[in-house]
Amino acid sequence: MGQVLALAVSSVLLAGFYASMAYGLGLIYGVLRVVNLAHGGMIMASAYLSWVLFTRFNIDPYLAIPIVMVVFFFVGVAMYKGLVRFLPRGAAGGVQSLLLLFGVWLVIRNLAYLLFSGDDQAVRTSYSTASVPIFGNSYSLNRVLVFVISLVAVAVLQLWLSRTYTGKAVRGVTENSDSSTLVGIDVERMYALTFGIGTALAGLAGVLASTLFAFNPSFGAGELLKSFVIIVLGGMGSVVGIGIGALVLAFAEVFAIYVVPSYLTAAVGFVLLVVVLVVRPSGLFGSNALR
Amino acid sequence: MVVAGCAPSQSSNSTSSGGGAVPDTIVIGSTLPLTGAESKTGGRYKQGLELAFEEINAAGGIDVNGKKVKVELKLLDDTSDQAKAVNLAQRLITSDKVNAFLGTYSTSLVEAQSTVAEQNKIPYVNGGGAATSIYTKGYKWIFGTLAPVENLATNEMEWIDEQQKAGKLPKPAKIAVVWENTSHGKDFRKGIAAYAAKTGNYKVVVDESFALDGKDFSAVLNKVDAAKVDLFMVDAHLPDFITMHRQYLSSGMCNKVITYGARGTEADAGKALGQKGVNYILSAVWWNKQLGNQGLNKTFVDSFTKKFGAAPEWYQAVSYEAARSLFTAISNAKSVDKTKVRDALSSLQMDSILPGGKLSFPADKGGQASYPFVVQQNLPDGTAPIIYPADVATGKGIAPNPSCKG
Repeated sequence: MGQVLALAVSSVLLAGFYASMAYGLGLIYGVLRVVNLAHGGMIMASAYLSWVLFTRFNIDPYLAIPIVMVVFFFVGVAMYKGLVRFLPRGAAGGVQSLLLLFGVWLVIRNLAYLLFSGDDQAVRTSYSTASVPIFGNSYSLNRVLVFVISLVAVAVLQLWLSRTYTGKAVRGVTENSDSSTLVGIDVERMYALTFGIGTALAGLAGVLASTLFAFNPSFGAGELLKSFVIIVLGGMGSVVGIGIGALVLAFAEVFAIYVVPSYLTAAVGFVLLVVVLVVRPSGLFGSNALR
Repeated sequence: MVVAGCAPSQSSNSTSSGGGAVPDTIVIGSTLPLTGAESKTGGRYKQGLELAFEEINAAGGIDVNGKKVKVELKLLDDTSDQAKAVNLAQRLITSDKVNAFLGTYSTSLVEAQSTVAEQNKIPYVNGGGAATSIYTKGYKWIFGTLAPVENLATNEMEWIDEQQKAGKLPKPAKIAVVWENTSHGKDFRKGIAAYAAKTGNYKVVVDESFALDGKDFSAVLNKVDAAKVDLFMVDAHLPDFITMHRQYLSSGMCNKVITYGARGTEADAGKALGQKGVNYILSAVWWNKQLGNQGLNKTFVDSFTKKFGAAPEWYQAVSYEAARSLFTAISNAKSVDKTKVRDALSSLQMDSILPGGKLSFPADKGGQASYPFVVQQNLPDGTAPIIYPADVATGKGIAPNPSCKG
């Protein structure tokens, strides 16, 4: 029983990181109907930015979060204005947007190889191996902090979407962009804002990842795939659903060790993805609307 | 020596690639990952080759049947890409008609590239493929200077066995073997399991593998913790080592012996985990500069340091030996005839900088060199002396892990 409880806590903590990876991808898909294949590259790039800020300027990764998010917000807005806005949306623009954003990812990755080489890097702070007791077991302080920050991020995102004028306007654009134009919402501005915020969230995920893992320019591919699984499980475009999807994936992966060899646990999420797509295409908890 | 960094050019010499006539220049083809994911390692391998070619040419070239023949290296960048490694090898062998081939780095690339060499019947010596799967296909033209990872596990177990016999570790000792699901990890596991079965003094109570680039090892670590093992023996690449060991330390685990295979002594590990985090970790590699206090090793370390301004690591040592073994085989064959060179490689007995002091490519190992690994242990003062084998040891290892006492 003690072991099950320990694994359950580990799963919840892992879900925190998983959710942080998927928020940006889910938000951009929910509003723009564009699958941002550059998302993994953005996570990798922000992990490097966090590493540079820490090693060169001695800025703690958690204190670097606002800096990184602001930088990545503007990167996202620039990407939207320079590239994404020229693409057709929805089903019609699927292939073009996939190819373009995949290309962006390759460019980011190769730039990182050029700048940082293929070496693995890691951010080590004084508390990198510090632990926190929970229910009698010790857990990594970083994993607990990542979980708390992820929880705060989902709460802020949800409040922004439901309580602010801009958030409501974004939801309006998601529901019906033509009608939104009629009531005076600047749709293009909302799209740019959403792409910026989605990219800033990828930036957040990268900083959090840099505190937990070693990374190199190839980092982000696995994170992108898992983010897909999470947004499909949670219902595409549902912010709370993303959190629940992350929990489902984390629990499935961690507890799968009781059923399958541990090297197969990473595949469990993808099996789950296929099952959910067949049985309940709108996700375990979602509709297609951004809520 | 010529190092071609981009497109290959046609050889200008009068090399008769298959015949017995001694050419004016011997051309050796090679690819390495000079860009891409493995670029840094590829760069290290290149340094080893450059030194070996520089030395042989400075001595007038290879002595082929009484005639000194200069050696040219045609080195291309395979960008860490399997398909490119294969295509470039094909071009070098069929278009540039190189006399022999020095293989690339990393098991997956060597595995693919070696097939081209076998099909074209050209001597292929590599310092970058350690997996036994490369050498168990019945190929006749493939030779490797990296000893099998199984030896890594065996040599670590031999040191552990000495500690057990000295009463420092329990008998029988419980082992958790946790390995990455790659040929590297499988060979490691095989070595541990074989040693445990042979001696009967060890019991493998946890046997788990994991996929590369894991994000959470709590389930595996919980199993290890619950089994209360004495020896925590892992085979992992650097990113997984860092993620797993951070979780291991955070969860307050401590075992009498800890190893992550070849990991632990590198500067990146210290940077990611701190000195306290890597203390007493056992590791084993193919070669270490601490071997360089006498004979061939001293010459190698001194020449390398003079040329590149930094001490060599095992990467440069094994690529240097790959090139030297090929030169020696050509000299022994007294010809550049491919079959004769292949036969000379098969029967090679060469003084070497690698542990054991002799390099050969035994037929019963499929042409893969077999020699002991140097086992090291990280100590709190930041050093990592060689603690096994005894004849090359530079310090004494400590068991059980003193960190567990507090």
